[in-house]
Amino acid sequence: QVSVINTVDTSHEDMIHDAQMDYYGTRLATCSSDRSVKIFDVRNGGQILIADLRGHEGPVWQVAWAHPMYGNILASCSYDRKVIVWKEENGTWEKTYEYTGHDSSVNSVCWAPHDYGLILACGSSDGAISLLSYTGDGQWEVKKLSNAHTIGCNAVSWAPAVVPGSLIEPPSGQKPNYIKRFASGGCDNLVKIWKEEDGQWKEEQKLEAHSDWVRDVAWAPSIGLPTSTIASCSQDGRVFIWTCDDASGNSWSPKLLHKFNDVVWHVSWSITANILAVSGGDNKVTLWKESVDGLWACISDVNKGQGGVSAVTEGQQNEQ
Amino acid sequence: AAVPSQVVPGADPSVRQLCFCWGPAEMLVCETLFGRRGGSRSRSRRPLLPAALSRCVAGTGEAGPSSSRVFVVRKDQDIYIQTLRKLFNESHGIFLGLQRSEEELAGKPRKAQLVQVSKNYRSVIRACMEDMHQAAISTREPALQSQYSTQVSILSAMELIWNLCEILFVEAAAAGPLLLRLLDWVRLHVCDVDNMVREVLSSEQPSKHELFWNVVDIFVLQGRMDEARHLLSKEATAHPSSGNMYKILDDLMKKMPVPSLGNTQTLTEMELKWQHWHEECQRYLQDGTFASDPRMESICKILLGDEDAILEKKELMTTWYHFLVTRLLYSHPTVKPMELRFYAQAGNTRISSLDLFQGGESSPEPLDTILMAAFEFEIHQVIKECSIALSNWWFVAHLTDLLDHCKLLQSHNLYFGSNMREFLLLEYASGLFSHHSLWQLGVDYFDHCPEYGRVYLELHIERIPLNTEQKALKVLRICEQRQMHEQVRSICKIMAMKALRNNRLGSALSWSIRAKDAAFATLISDRFLKDYCERGSFSDLDLIDNLGPSMLLSDRLTFLGKYREFHRLYGEQRFKEAAQLLLMLMTAHIAPCSFWMTLLTDALPLLEQKEVIFSAEQTYELMGCLEDLTVGKSEKQKFQDDNETTKVEMLRLALARNLARVIVKEGTLEGS
Repeated sequence: QVSVINTVDTSHEDMIHDAQMDYYGTRLATCSSDRSVKIFDVRNGGQILIADLRGHEGPVWQVAWAHPMYGNILASCSYDRKVIVWKEENGTWEKTYEYTGHDSSVNSVCWAPHDYGLILACGSSDGAISLLSYTGDGQWEVKKLSNAHTIGCNAVSWAPAVVPGSLIEPPSGQKPNYIKRFASGGCDNLVKIWKEEDGQWKEEQKLEAHSDWVRDVAWAPSIGLPTSTIASCSQDGRVFIWTCDDASGNSWSPKLLHKFNDVVWHVSWSITANILAVSGGDNKVTLWKESVDGLWACISDVNKGQGGVSAVTEGQQNEQ
Repeated sequence: AAVPSQVVPGADPSVRQLCFCWGPAEMLVCETLFGRRGGSRSRSRRPLLPAALSRCVAGTGEAGPSSSRVFVVRKDQDIYIQTLRKLFNESHGIFLGLQRSEEELAGKPRKAQLVQVSKNYRSVIRACMEDMHQAAISTREPALQSQYSTQVSILSAMELIWNLCEILFVEAAAAGPLLLRLLDWVRLHVCDVDNMVREVLSSEQPSKHELFWNVVDIFVLQGRMDEARHLLSKEATAHPSSGNMYKILDDLMKKMPVPSLGNTQTLTEMELKWQHWHEECQRYLQDGTFASDPRMESICKILLGDEDAILEKKELMTTWYHFLVTRLLYSHPTVKPMELRFYAQAGNTRISSLDLFQGGESSPEPLDTILMAAFEFEIHQVIKECSIALSNWWFVAHLTDLLDHCKLLQSHNLYFGSNMREFLLLEYASGLFSHHSLWQLGVDYFDHCPEYGRVYLELHIERIPLNTEQKALKVLRICEQRQMHEQVRSICKIMAMKALRNNRLGSALSWSIRAKDAAFATLISDRFLKDYCERGSFSDLDLIDNLGPSMLLSDRLTFLGKYREFHRLYGEQRFKEAAQLLLMLMTAHIAPCSFWMTLLTDALPLLEQKEVIFSAEQTYELMGCLEDLTVGKSEKQKFQDDNETTKVEMLRLALARNLARVIVKEGTLEGS
């Protein structure tokens, strides 16, 4: 049973493409075809417009909040080929960095785990993935992975930070040796996993299972198990759950969550990774949970309508 | 089975899709059209138009005010009901007590203690019920009243179920005491007899009251023999002619054998006595002793366990489980726990109590299913059904935990390898974290989940908004107590950043020291120094003066601390020490090059003192520093900054003069 506890009227003049809560659920960022990015304070059921950010020249596809330890920072990406990083300074939101290194629409942005620093991954229709790292003093360093996906890259998602090996506290000030990884999905029907080795980014794995463009990928948060889990969804209507059992990241095996009747656009994991939300072309959002016997079951779906809620009964098993 | 469908009311039912995002507690849902984004190809055949035309996409008129809403959606949870607060707080205390006592008395039999814990939980539920009831009758708003009343019913059902579980599972009452417990249970929970009784007894002539026989019947049905006999005696005095009948019935009721709680009789003895008594009742009935009074006859039939006679009193019993217990009382009082299922469920030769009672009319309600599962000793089924029926995890989490302590749950391995108890506790505690103050209770629950408690805590505690310094400190303490170093660092960094944004440098500095964040400490120290250069004074002197060993966190911080020390020494007129420190700051390269000019300028007053402070060696070193500073600059640079040039000149002069004086002083023998 869910209730709508707040309806935020964003006053966007055109379609909203993304809405994201900040880390604490106190602020909401939205972006739209009207080229603006808006930020609202939504504490206690309120909706106060904090900022109306203009800077993009085309529909804005996604927004992403950085970890609060870096301050209040938001990234946005747009059809206008730009990625803009906005920052709240002295109570006002301003553009703090603009990246124009892509030749085509930038479709997805995702901040890396805060342990790595302030790093933003961007996926674009020009097939490239850019990694923007903040090096201090307003400077950003760019690494571009060209031809990451032929035709275009639609989604990027970082793996959670996991320190390999020793659990001993490193001496203060010293950064532990993280192995940085992220996943990307593209128009070549592939999900790819990228790994940083000696300062260079390399394609580590190609995950093949989809028969059409991959629209979204989401790497599940870590709950301390040695397994890694990625969800991917595609134009082919399928959602796959990929798991890798060993820490070296070599063998990924897919499990079909469900085949939907329409394009599946978006997948996202809850904070403790026990529920996966899937947004599809069938005007619904379905929530899935793994059951006792390892099968994924749909636990509910959220759809639009004029009110009224149907009775609660048991979840159904997935269909292969 | 169908999937529960949760509809977002008010959203526009046109051809739009739903975009979704997880918040830490809430979820976001908004209408969108996915076809627009990412790549020039779209299944919906809508061309991706350049921005300028994006508003006029032909056809369905997508753009419009209704598309601009974002719904913040939240799972309905009881934690948001104010009046249930007591339930969560007090049960938390009971839970912790149970976990701790388990640790202390590990392995020793503790049934009595577990039963007490169970009773404690139930009294909390009852207290809550009372509060809720008070709220319901005192409110004027019909909506609220209905909500409270619903809550009362739910709490009542919870207590009913818990009580039965306590009897069957925790206490595990054996044959004999089992029936007595079940009778108590029925008397306490089922059908409100008290009002009726009060009404009848307080009337002038109770036996004439229209509800008189109802009360007598219900007493009999609930095995309350003494009370039934008391009422019947009134009737007896009113009808002296039927005196004999009453006497016989009274006698039978008095003699009815009941299981005892102590060890005064064995089950076999009890069964024999009961058989005997049963036969006596049978004889009286067959003799027609009660033939003239249908009511009395009916009572006798009930005593004989006649199902039809009992079922006639359906309206009084109100529920099938009351019927079940009454059946047991009058047909099989020494029933064993494992035999209960035969009376509860449908068997080969028997029809279930439920079906008998309801006559197969309606389908079972969730409560019925749960109680049925309990009578059948299907503990996992009870838990599963409760999870489905109730909107909160509170009940199943605490009950399952208790049953686990009773060693009743086999390890029921779930995906993550944790058992059911942990799974439910994790769900319950996770729910608490979306509440602004109840999250603190959640911490303790996570602590007692050995497999995933810690990582769940790590993930959730990061999302608690650190609105105030006190809250941040509270969260920090929790993390520090559990050696959650990553979280400690993260929180301190967030607070440092916040303080810096609000220009509270001192606060920012102490947070970054706590975070052991050298880079940030350097940044803030630079800010302090910059402020000093601009204003000529330091803020937050207390903090800087008392840095102690944390000064070593970063070079810049060390410099800041030492530089302030220099000023203090100067202020205390300990010039020689001040001078030495000042020099050391440069020669040991603690001071950044950019600051050397300031330091040298600070040296000026020391050079101009009447008394010579810097020794010859020190003066040479100072000169060296000055030259190091100026040597890199080009001629052009030198000319551009007049101020700078003047200063350098002044310094050179002062240094030279000092050198002259000190050479003389050091060259002069004492006393000569």
